[in-house]
Amino acid sequence: MFIQQQIRTWLSSLPPDVFSRGVSIALTLVIGLLLVRMLGVVTQRYIMRKSSAQRQMIARKAISYTGFVLVAMSVLGELGVKLTALLGAAGIVGIAVGFASQTSVSNIISGLFLISEKPFTVGDVIRIGTTTGIIQSIDLLSIKIRTFDNMFVRIPNEKILNSEVTNMTRFPIRRMDILFQVAYGQDLSRIHDCLIEIAGANPWSLDEPQPVIIFNDLKESGVEVLFGLWFTQADFLNLKNSIMKELTARFDGQGIRFATPRRVVTVREGKITA
Amino acid sequence: MDKTGTAVWDKVEISPRQCVAWRFPARSIWVERVDSEWHVLSLAEEGRRPAARREPVARAQKPESSQWRHYLHREIGPVQPIPVLPDKPVVVRPDRALTLLPGQNALFFLEIPVWFRLCATVPRQLRIFEEAIVVLTKTWFGDPLTGELCYGLATRLHQGIDSVSPSAFLAVCPLSIANDSDTDLQFEKICLHVENLSIFRGPRRLWTNRLNVEFRGPEQATQIEIDHAAPVFEKGLAPFSEARQPAVGWNIRKTFGMLKSFADF
Repeated sequence: MFIQQQIRTWLSSLPPDVFSRGVSIALTLVIGLLLVRMLGVVTQRYIMRKSSAQRQMIARKAISYTGFVLVAMSVLGELGVKLTALLGAAGIVGIAVGFASQTSVSNIISGLFLISEKPFTVGDVIRIGTTTGIIQSIDLLSIKIRTFDNMFVRIPNEKILNSEVTNMTRFPIRRMDILFQVAYGQDLSRIHDCLIEIAGANPWSLDEPQPVIIFNDLKESGVEVLFGLWFTQADFLNLKNSIMKELTARFDGQGIRFATPRRVVTVREGKITA
Repeated sequence: MDKTGTAVWDKVEISPRQCVAWRFPARSIWVERVDSEWHVLSLAEEGRRPAARREPVARAQKPESSQWRHYLHREIGPVQPIPVLPDKPVVVRPDRALTLLPGQNALFFLEIPVWFRLCATVPRQLRIFEEAIVVLTKTWFGDPLTGELCYGLATRLHQGIDSVSPSAFLAVCPLSIANDSDTDLQFEKICLHVENLSIFRGPRRLWTNRLNVEFRGPEQATQIEIDHAAPVFEKGLAPFSEARQPAVGWNIRKTFGMLKSFADF
């Protein structure tokens, strides 16, 4: 009885339009959030259907953030919060927060640079330091990468802006350089012809641009050879595996020897010299 | 019954538990009907046969292999083998570098290996599978940023049809080139967008549409026109397979880019 009395007293103390305001706030929240979500989906699936994944992601996030801010402002307005005062306070708070979160701000600014400069887009394969993987998303604070052994890596934007980034899928074709050494005393022309045959027989090696064969250097144990093969992005693994097998098999078959570390030891008058 | 020449492309009825093989110089394709499935085996072969043929194969003689593919298709009816052109452009490298002098024109015949496509015909034409009869090398045409992936084909530039041997798996493409510029037209390679060409079947050979190329100089757009009528070099030609991507209009920029390399500028 006492509790009921208390509730009744509290309800009678409320302003008369509290229920209608509550309903209005609930409707604003539900309809507003639904609209934001629908707009994001429609933009991504229909309006920007032919755009790149990167642009779709930016558009979806722009719509989400703007929409959530508008819904929040509407709800605050319904609650009677004066937005001008709030914005003034937000400025002061913003300065304080800004000093306290310089790293985050730096990441956000770096993120904006990354989005505008576009060194890579969603779906590209990049290498940063020792991490190589496919870009899943480019956000304001960080980029998310899925590595080839299926690990999730988050890299802060600031770090990317200060690092050397290699985009491995920017161009449609690439060259795979294989460095090896062949033992001294062998006919280099025959080795050259053999490499041309290997490249020509490999189904994943492009015949144009032509393979690069350079007798690079005279090393301690043999002649260093650079064997460069052009390929399309999709054929990387097939080419890598097949060319190694073919190279060793063909060299074995033709009696061409890879260089192995070698040291000549001469014994002269009881003294060993190397 | 064995079939040779372009008759290998005839429609064929394959009864349940019956196996049929299509034999090409560098590839054999076995097709067997088992219950409601088509069993298909395609193997590249080293030994070269002189001509293409189709022959029934006793079940005991069909090859044992883990590479048999199974396609579910309940309706029983004849199957139609169809020759189709490759799914990417083909960069043809002639056996000799040729220069077409200003004001001259020439007609060449190029041989392009076709792909083997097998279609069910009941209740409607339905592709079961397709496979390259001759595996071509991959090549890149154009610069590394804007070029395109193509197949590479080293072949002879025939200047008369008499020197082209009849074949059931090489489609002859008549290529007419007119040099309407005041510069030499040297071509070491020609990029043919074969996906825009259809195939005609004749008694002795397969043919593609005739291509007419009008070169107006390195700085001018070059006209490339596909003749949609059957070539006139063999009697009794009939349309056999449609282009993968019918050409609705010719892209001038693309043409120009192509011809820059076409003429090796």
